[in-house]
Amino acid sequence: MKKLVALLLSLIMVLSLATAVAETVELPRNETLYFAGQQWGTVNSWNIIGTNQNNAMAIAGGPSGYRTLMFETLYMYNFMDGSMKGLLADGDYVWNDTMTEVTVKIKDAAKWSDGTPVTANDVKRTFDIGVEIGNGTGTGYKAYIAEIVAADEKTVVIKAAVNADNVPVNPLKVVDFLSGAPIAQAAWIDTVAARNNNDPVAILNDPGEDVVWSGPYTKYYADDQKVVLVRDDNYWGQDESMWGKLPVPKYIAHAMYADNAAGEVALKNGEVDVCQQFIGNVQNLWLEDGLPISTYYEEAPYGVCLTMPTAWYNMNLPVLANNVALRKAIAMAVDYDTIIANAMTNQSPSFADVPRSLMNPTAGEQALYNAAEVAELQWAGNDIDGAIKLLDEAGIVDTDGDGWREYNGEKIALNAVCPNGWSDWQASMEVVAAAGAKIGVEITTLYPEYSIYQTVFVNPNQTEYAIFMWSPEAASPSNPWTRVNQFLGTEYVGVENNWSGNWGQYVNEEADALIKKIPTTTDAEELKALYTELTKIYLTEVPSFSLMYRPSVFHAVNESVWTNYPAGDDGRNIPPADCTDGYGIAALYELELVNP
Amino acid sequence: MKNTLRQVFHSSKFVAGFVIFIAILLLLFIYPLINPGNPLEMIGVGTFAKPGTYVSLYDAINTEPETLRLSDADDKRLAKQLSMEDRVAMIEWFDAMGIAVDFDMSDTEALLDLWDSHYDPATKPKGMTQAKRNYYKRLNNALQELKAGDEIIIAESDEAGVLTENDTVNKTDYVNVNAVANVKVLPLGTDNFGRDVLKELVSATGTSILIGLIAGAVATIIGLTFGLLAGYMGGIADDIIMFITNVFTVIPGFVLLILISYSIGQDQRGASVVALVIGLTSWTWTARSVRSQVISLRNRDHVNLSKLSGHSLVRIIMTDILPYIASYVVMAFILQVSSGILSEAQLSLLGLGPKTTEVPTLGLMMNWSMLYSAHTNGSWWAYFPVILTITLISFSLNLMNTGLDQVFNPTLRD
Repeated sequence: MKKLVALLLSLIMVLSLATAVAETVELPRNETLYFAGQQWGTVNSWNIIGTNQNNAMAIAGGPSGYRTLMFETLYMYNFMDGSMKGLLADGDYVWNDTMTEVTVKIKDAAKWSDGTPVTANDVKRTFDIGVEIGNGTGTGYKAYIAEIVAADEKTVVIKAAVNADNVPVNPLKVVDFLSGAPIAQAAWIDTVAARNNNDPVAILNDPGEDVVWSGPYTKYYADDQKVVLVRDDNYWGQDESMWGKLPVPKYIAHAMYADNAAGEVALKNGEVDVCQQFIGNVQNLWLEDGLPISTYYEEAPYGVCLTMPTAWYNMNLPVLANNVALRKAIAMAVDYDTIIANAMTNQSPSFADVPRSLMNPTAGEQALYNAAEVAELQWAGNDIDGAIKLLDEAGIVDTDGDGWREYNGEKIALNAVCPNGWSDWQASMEVVAAAGAKIGVEITTLYPEYSIYQTVFVNPNQTEYAIFMWSPEAASPSNPWTRVNQFLGTEYVGVENNWSGNWGQYVNEEADALIKKIPTTTDAEELKALYTELTKIYLTEVPSFSLMYRPSVFHAVNESVWTNYPAGDDGRNIPPADCTDGYGIAALYELELVNP
Repeated sequence: MKNTLRQVFHSSKFVAGFVIFIAILLLLFIYPLINPGNPLEMIGVGTFAKPGTYVSLYDAINTEPETLRLSDADDKRLAKQLSMEDRVAMIEWFDAMGIAVDFDMSDTEALLDLWDSHYDPATKPKGMTQAKRNYYKRLNNALQELKAGDEIIIAESDEAGVLTENDTVNKTDYVNVNAVANVKVLPLGTDNFGRDVLKELVSATGTSILIGLIAGAVATIIGLTFGLLAGYMGGIADDIIMFITNVFTVIPGFVLLILISYSIGQDQRGASVVALVIGLTSWTWTARSVRSQVISLRNRDHVNLSKLSGHSLVRIIMTDILPYIASYVVMAFILQVSSGILSEAQLSLLGLGPKTTEVPTLGLMMNWSMLYSAHTNGSWWAYFPVILTITLISFSLNLMNTGLDQVFNPTLRD
C-alpha cells in the first residue's frame, strides 16, 4: 500500500513537471513562419539605439540589407541589382551638385506604433544620439556625415563630412546610411536618455522593453528556447503608398538551435520554413530525400554569392612581406576547384567561370572593371608547374636537399589558420596546406578556438598566423569600394583591434591614392579605369587570395506550409535575403499557404 | 616458456582475438602493396562519392564496342528514367492543369505524348510549390533524354568551334570493363575531401595501432616502475609514490588528457606526441595493481633468500618479482593499448587529436565525417567502417586479454 502511494505521488510530481515544461507559447502552424540560423542564444534587449542586443530577428544589420521586420530604414537595398527602394523615404534621394548634401523626403503615411507620424526630426535625433553615445550607427557613419538637418517636418537633409577642399569624404558611405541605419523615434530616444540621466553606457545597455517601432512586426515572446514576433495589424505600410497590404504570416518565430546540424534536421522535418545556414550538398535534400525544399536557384550555385572568403598573408612576417613570388606561387598552386567542390559543395561559381578580381560575382560588380585587361594576371589555380617555376626563378629553392624550400638559409615554415569548427574554412586550409606540400613550401594547418582566433587576427602586430582566413564585405551601396579598401587600403594598417579590413597589414601607397579617388568619381569610364588599375595591383602583388565565392546569407526554404518564396526565375526581383533583409522583406507580402 | 605458450594457444578466446588482430595487421601490410600511393591524396573533386566501381566515361567512349542485343535493355532504361512514382506525379500534374487523362498510367507512349504536348516549364499550376515545379523540370529533362533517339553523337570541335561528327554511340553498344584504360574501384567510396576511404582507413588503422602501442608502452612502463618500487620498497618511498598516484587517480584521466592536449597547441600535436600524452595520463591503475601484486610477493621465501644473499634491489625485482607478475603485466599492456586507441579516437572527435594533413588516424576520420555531417546525409561509408575497425581492434585485444586471464588466473582455470 505504501509503495502504491509512493508511486502515485512520484507520478503526480513527474506529470506536474511535464506540464510546467509544456507551458510555452503554442503558435498556429499555418500563421507562423519559422526561421533557423539567425538567432543564437537569448535576446539581450530591444533597444534599437543600444549595443549588444543579440536580437537577430528584430535588430540586425546584415550584408544583404537591414532587417526591417520591427525597425525600418529610409531605403531598402536590393543586392540583385544594387537598387534602393523607398521604405520610410518617399521617392529617390537627391544629391546636390557638389555631392555634399543629400535630400530625402519621408512618406506621409509613415507612422510609429504609437500612431505619431515619422518625421525628419526622428532621423536627425537617431543620428545625433548615435554619435553622442557611440552606438553602431554613430561610430559607423560619423566620419562620413557631418550633420543631419530636418529642413521641415518631412524633409531630411544629410550633410556629408567634407575635407579641407570642401570635397565630401565618402559619398558612398552616406548612401550606406540610407539603407543601413534603422530609424528610432525621437520622443522615445528622449525618454530613454532621460531615464538614464544621459549616461551613454546606461543608454546603450537600456533593455528598451517599451521601444516604439515602425515596422510590420513587434515582440511577442522571447526566452532561451525561442523568440517570436507578432504582426502589428495597425502597420502603416498597408497604406497604398507602400505595400498596400499587411505581410502574410501573423507570427515570425525562431527556435534556438544548439548548432547548425540541429537547425538542418529541423528544416528537413518541416519545423523550419526559412533556413539561413550553410547546408552541404543541399541538392540532396530534394534529389535524394525528395523533400519539398528549394533554394533560390535550382542548379548550382543555388544562391547568390556576394562575398569571397579570403586567405590573408601576414605582412609582419618578412618571408611573406619580401617575397611576392612566394605569395603568388602559393596562391597559384592552390586547387580552388577542390575547395569549391569540397568546402562549398559547389555552392559557388569556380574561378574559371568568374575570374578572380576585387569584385564579387554579381553582374553589377563584374561590369565595374575591365576583365580583358587583367586576364594575363588572373589564375584559376592548381598550377603546380607554374608555381614551381616562379619560385625557382625568384631564387627560393631547396638548398639543403630536405625537400623544403629555404629563404635566407632558413626553411620556410608557414601555418594556415582558421577557427576550429568552421568546417568549410578548415577544409580550405587543408587544401592550401596540400598545395604547399606540392611546391615544396611547408604549410601546416592550425585551428585555434574562435575565442582565441578573434583576438589574434585583429592585432596589427601579430606574427603567430602566417596565412589566415577572413571574409571581406559582401554587398551594400558602398561596395565594391569598401571591399577594395579592405583588400588594399592603408586606412586600417596598424589599427588596434582591427575588425574593419586589411588584416594582413599590406601597404601600397599607389593603391591607396587610387582608392581615395573612387568615392567622388562619378564618371563611369574613369571609375572603371580606377578599379581595373587596382585589380592589376592586387593580382600582381597578391597581398591575399580569395578561396571561393560565397553567399553572405543562405536561403533554403521548406515548402511544407508556405510557398511562393522568391526564386531566381520568377521575375519578381526579390533578393534571396531570408524574406527579412533589405528588399528581401517583400517576400513576406507574397507568401501563400500550401493548403489554405 | 614453451609450455606457457602452448597453454595460451589452447585458449579459444585468445586464439580468436589473436587471429582477428593478426588479420588486421596483415591487411595493413598487404593492402598498400595492392593499392600504393599517398592515402591523403584528394582524388575526388567533391564530397562523399558513393562506394562502387568508377569507369572512365572518356576512355569508355574511345574503347571499341561490342554489340549486344539484350531484350530487357529498353525496359531497364525506361524504369531508370521513369519510375512508377514519376508516372503518378505526371498524372497529378495533368490533374492540376485540368487535362483529362483517358488512358492507363502504364501506357508509356500515350503518357509521354500527352506530356510533350502540354508540359511547359513556365506554367505555374495553382498551389504548386517551387520544389514540386523544380521536380517536374528535372523529370521533363530526363524524359527528353529518354526519347533522344537510338544514338548519341560524339563530335569534335575544331579551333573555330565548328563541330564535326566523329563517332556515334548506339543503344546496343557495350564495352568490356577490362578493355577500358581507367577503371577505379572505390570499395568504400571517398570522404569529404575526396580521399579514397579504404586506403585512408588502412593507413589510419596503422597509425592508430601505433599510437595505441606507444601509449600502452609508456603507461605500462611508468605504471610498472612505480608499482614495483612502491610495492617492494614500502615505507616512505611507497607513501610518496602512492601519493602521486592517488593525485592522478582523483583527477579524471580524460579531463586531464583534454587539458594537456589543448595546452600543447595543435601545431605541436603530432601523432607521437598525442600517444605520449595518452600514455602519461593513463598509468595510474597499472601502478596500483602492480603494487598490490608485489606486496603479496615481497615476503615470499625466495625473495627473502635473495635478500639474505645480498642481491641488489634491481636484481631482486628483475629476477625474483617481475617473472611472477609478467603475465599480469602483459595483460595490462594489452588493455592499455586498447584504451589508448579509444582515447585517440575520443580526443580527435573533439578536435583535440593529432594535427591533420600529416597522417590519417581513425579519430581524425571520424572528426571530419562529423564536421561534414556524414551521419545525417547518409554517407555511412565515411564513418561506419571506421567505427567497425575501432570495435574490431579493441574487441580482439580484449578477447586476447580474457583468454590470457583464463590461462594465468588460477581461480578462473578449468
